[in-house]
Amino acid sequence: MKKTYRVAGHKFAVVMPDNDAAWNEMGPYEPFVCVDASDCLFTAELLDAMPDTSDKQKVTVSCEGPDMPRIELYEWRGQWLMEMAPLLEAPVRAYLLTDKTFYEAKFRILGSIRFSLGTSLMLMFAFATARKNTLLMHSSVTVKDGKGYLFLGKSGTGKSTHSQLWINNIEGCSLLNDDNPVLRVMEDGEVHVFGSPWSGKTPCYQNIEVPVGAIVNLRQAKKNTIRRMSLVEAYAAMYVSFSGYRFIKEMADGLHATNEKVVGTVPCYALDCLPDAEAAWLCYKTVSQ
Amino acid sequence: MKTKKGYRLRQLGKEYILVAEGLEVMGANQMISMNETAAFLWEAVEGKTFDTEALAKLLVDEYGISMEVAEKDVTALLQTWNKAGVIED
Repeated sequence: MKKTYRVAGHKFAVVMPDNDAAWNEMGPYEPFVCVDASDCLFTAELLDAMPDTSDKQKVTVSCEGPDMPRIELYEWRGQWLMEMAPLLEAPVRAYLLTDKTFYEAKFRILGSIRFSLGTSLMLMFAFATARKNTLLMHSSVTVKDGKGYLFLGKSGTGKSTHSQLWINNIEGCSLLNDDNPVLRVMEDGEVHVFGSPWSGKTPCYQNIEVPVGAIVNLRQAKKNTIRRMSLVEAYAAMYVSFSGYRFIKEMADGLHATNEKVVGTVPCYALDCLPDAEAAWLCYKTVSQ
Repeated sequence: MKTKKGYRLRQLGKEYILVAEGLEVMGANQMISMNETAAFLWEAVEGKTFDTEALAKLLVDEYGISMEVAEKDVTALLQTWNKAGVIED
């Protein structure tokens, strides 16, 4: 069976056997189902066995911390092979094999279906859209008065907590996505944020699109202060908040072009904060002006 | 000396940044902000071997300053680059 999904206006197809248990884990993707299957950016097909890739060549390993997924990248017969584990020290639980244009992917699930599916599709989405004015972000996004406010920061900084503080203290706020929203520079130059089927530990899979009001980079501190970031600061804060293999020139160029447009268009702030209501109010009053 | 592999000069509006993009420097997550002069020199010698004198000559030709001033500027810049680890012997 093949199903097509549309996330941030980009279509992709997932192909798996009709009765495969993995379909039961596609709940988060349901709001994104798309009837028109034409013009897909990529197709990801589930395999029940991997080809023999023992002659693969290691390219790099990436992992952002002990509790973060580890991704090993190999080159195998002119294709990219990614072997993924849920944690730095965990065994490999998923395989993703894709051509170098990120158009046709095959993946194999060993452990948790949700981890394998989610990681494979997120990687494919990020790579296939990298040259299309699109960034798959690591961020928590709250909507207020029809605008999206993106909270950035290292893992454990309190992005989700800050979203909750807005929602609990400021009337009319709602969560758009808690972990992996998508930013896109639209044809008219406006920057929009979209919900996605990936939202970390918070089940919040909304097929919603709003213009971006502001981007806020969070840092834990002993008191609440906020200031506007310079262009270079904003670029750097954004740079570490979306993924992609920068050593692939076309990908790095695409990501740079999008990031440059985003920080040149959207007001970006640095918020040093406590996890309290005052932080949410200070932030909201400053960035919604 | 020469520039290290893996760094890429990016323009951001009127500003320049040197970004660690290559496999050689992967995981460095490093970014160095550069002014127009520094960016001009980096672009001129990227991937090549050079010395203080060669860079100073570039500045003299480009900006019409004296060799003495140029050498002083270049020495300061090379210290910054050295500290940032973006050049090697």
